[in-house]
Amino acid sequence: MADPLRVNILTTFNGDTSHFEASDRSYQAALQQPRLPQRRIVDITEEFTKACSALKVGQLVKDEHFTLFESVSALEIMDPKMDSGFLQPGETLEDEYDTLAPLLPEEVLGIMDQLLCYEMAWHTGYTLSQTLFTSVYIDKLLWPEPKTLEQVQFYRGSVPGSRRPGPLLEVLRAYCLGLVKCCDFVIAKITARHYFEEEDFATHTYHRTLFPQIPLDVFLRELDAAVEQLDDPGLTITDSLRGAITGRLLFRKAFLLALDLDCPLPHSSSTWPPVLSLLPSISTTHQLSVPVPGAFSNKIQRRLASTVPPRPVVELAFSDAFTHLKQLCHDCEEATRVLTIPKDPIEFENFLWASASRFPAPLCYARSYFSTLLTDESTVVSTPSLPMQDLQLLVFPPHSPLIDPVNWAIDRPRDNSLPEPPRLQIAMLLDGFLERASASILDYWTALGQNACRLRRLLTHMILGFNELQMDAAVVDEDLARVAQEVQAMEGHPGAVMMPRPLETWTYFKKLSLVEKCILLGFAQDVYLPEEFGGMYTFLSLVTTRKAALLDTIYAHFSDVEAQYRRTGRPPAWAEDVAVHRDWYIDTLRHYTKGIQHLSAALGVFYTTMMYLGLVTGGSIGPFGDHARRYELRMRPFLALDPVEVPAWEDFKAHVLPWGEYSSPDRGFGDVLKGGAVWGGLELDLRQAREAFARVKKAGAEGMRAVGSRGVWEGEVQGLMKSCVGLGVAVVGVRGAVEGVDVDGDGGWRGRLGVRIEVPGIRDGGKVERYLEGWVVPRVVKN
Amino acid sequence: MDNKEACDYLSSLIGKNLRIHVSDKRVFGGQLKCTDKDRNIILSLAHEYREPSAEVLRKAVEESGNPTVKVSWTSRYVGLIVVPGAHVRKIELEETTYG
Repeated sequence: MADPLRVNILTTFNGDTSHFEASDRSYQAALQQPRLPQRRIVDITEEFTKACSALKVGQLVKDEHFTLFESVSALEIMDPKMDSGFLQPGETLEDEYDTLAPLLPEEVLGIMDQLLCYEMAWHTGYTLSQTLFTSVYIDKLLWPEPKTLEQVQFYRGSVPGSRRPGPLLEVLRAYCLGLVKCCDFVIAKITARHYFEEEDFATHTYHRTLFPQIPLDVFLRELDAAVEQLDDPGLTITDSLRGAITGRLLFRKAFLLALDLDCPLPHSSSTWPPVLSLLPSISTTHQLSVPVPGAFSNKIQRRLASTVPPRPVVELAFSDAFTHLKQLCHDCEEATRVLTIPKDPIEFENFLWASASRFPAPLCYARSYFSTLLTDESTVVSTPSLPMQDLQLLVFPPHSPLIDPVNWAIDRPRDNSLPEPPRLQIAMLLDGFLERASASILDYWTALGQNACRLRRLLTHMILGFNELQMDAAVVDEDLARVAQEVQAMEGHPGAVMMPRPLETWTYFKKLSLVEKCILLGFAQDVYLPEEFGGMYTFLSLVTTRKAALLDTIYAHFSDVEAQYRRTGRPPAWAEDVAVHRDWYIDTLRHYTKGIQHLSAALGVFYTTMMYLGLVTGGSIGPFGDHARRYELRMRPFLALDPVEVPAWEDFKAHVLPWGEYSSPDRGFGDVLKGGAVWGGLELDLRQAREAFARVKKAGAEGMRAVGSRGVWEGEVQGLMKSCVGLGVAVVGVRGAVEGVDVDGDGGWRGRLGVRIEVPGIRDGGKVERYLEGWVVPRVVKN
Repeated sequence: MDNKEACDYLSSLIGKNLRIHVSDKRVFGGQLKCTDKDRNIILSLAHEYREPSAEVLRKAVEESGNPTVKVSWTSRYVGLIVVPGAHVRKIELEETTYG
């Protein structure tokens, strides 16, 4: 055999000449003259070196558009931390792993399960180069790039018959093909969303193509063929291993069908149960597998087109990967329920909130899947009447002529000089407003599909959006009131009597709800420090007080209309409809809001008092900060609101610093404590909150229009009631401790209280410390 | 070569396609963006080329039975890189002419 190094081997650059392309002009010239460009390579080492040494220290010769800023991102060649192609002395470029060597069934199982681990690690946000692309088998399938499916093998070109892959390798190949196609579907689904998800998910494929052109059924056939191959009686394999491998192939098939981009919407809910039913067997048979560490290599990164430094391989334990997989499938299945919930904007909003608050937070794919369902043309979001329904539910009582569908069917007068009929004008005014409102609502609903932290940030923008909408609404309301009066005058219809400023009321209500959610999310995400709790809960109670007042007005209006209907001899069913809607929806909403208002007020007072008692101590505010500045910072998202929601610091101070600095309260504090005024007010708030939540609970999910997310809704009401009870217990504990101590004097009494406060943290690894994420109910513990 | 000549010469190479051979036998091809006294070289839109290993060559010859078989260099895109002067072994200029 010839010594390979002595053989005259023609080595060539393998065709990738993109950067050698001639400049555009000479390229054009080449097109005109059918002469081939001649490439000449000139060794300029000597001149270059000489020229460089003639430069001064620190002098750069550079492209005028090239900046220092850009140069920072350059990868340093031969630096092991930066250069993914760097080899340690004696290290080889590739591992000597033979992808055609026969495998034992348990090894095939081991490789499949390891691939699953990497797949899920990728789903949690790592790059393909750190996960699936470390597989030698997948690398062989994808590179060099195959032109046809037949070329997608664990080898390229031809191999002698004795080396041809055996049945088990064919089975592994089918599984890998299915897996790669799954990745293709996942990337396509996520990148099709309008918003930016790169923060949570890496879509980069390093110039490898994941069979986007090959249709799904080809992969299904490969998987079916693999299942048949396993059934071949000639194959030496135990039944349990055969079952385990078959289970994984069937799972991959079901998973592919569920991920399919072209899956028709009505079918999507039926694709997930088969996947879920196959999961348990994967987990139970994992113990049969034998790992094959050699089948995965960090070195493949060296051959991937990569403009980033090398990254470590991510090791995710099988049990964790399996948990992620199960969660992903459950989240997607749950998402398909959106197709079945009642077609009602409030139901819809409640369902979105229930999805947004799922724990653990859904993976990026599940969120994209959900929002794909939402924004599909046939689903609920696209129904143009949804915002209209939303308006009706809150501010236009049933049977009002203002929202009569007939209004939208009236023709314009042929003669342009005649005014439009009032009812048509109303339809046009409402349409104009709804068009704007729909954009805000759609933004809001889209935001709800994002991860929780981004959701909170986006909400602050949505609030400003609704703030602008509110100004528009006020203008439309004026016109609406004028036309409604005409209708009233013409028809004498009692339902034509509008509540004052209905559109503005509706928008304001939405805006305040968003502020409320935004503050609660801040608590749920531990944005605030314990010393701010008092202030933030107080602010929440101020906001919800306004919201409750709006609902009172709406309630009163519905009652008026009901009375009018009865008085003017309208059909009794009309008055009944108005009363039912008022008592079910408006009243439940009103009690819910009042419950929030009182509970947050109680928590506000409690935490402020705890600051004075020294039972909750915050970190110091820092040498350059003060209460006022921090307040301004926290309130920044709400400062621009009109009407003003954020009280001036001087006024707000009366709530959060009523007795001077926390460390040295003035005499008034002692008097209030002794007189029990603090505790009395607090307990009254708590009692009112409990009563309000009891009413909400009685109305049930139907009352709050949360039938589609009943479980979550019931959990929330339960959590709110438990929070009330928990805070009540804490109040008793502190009150008892304070009674035994004289709080006047130099502050030495703080050490004699004999109790401490435990502030429960956010949910960590599934451990629930709070009754509800947004409600930080403390526990009092005896020292 | 005085400083001005050196600057003129090097400036004339800016934006040209260079092939830099480095100490571990890899070759980097890309557009010259910047250089300095220490011969550090920044290339943009660079590709990395690596000679096939002796093992790969041996296999290729074995499998084809042809001692002058063509074996491709492996290449990949690496983008913006800086090659430290100490590792530069050879610098080649690619000239494309027509005719």
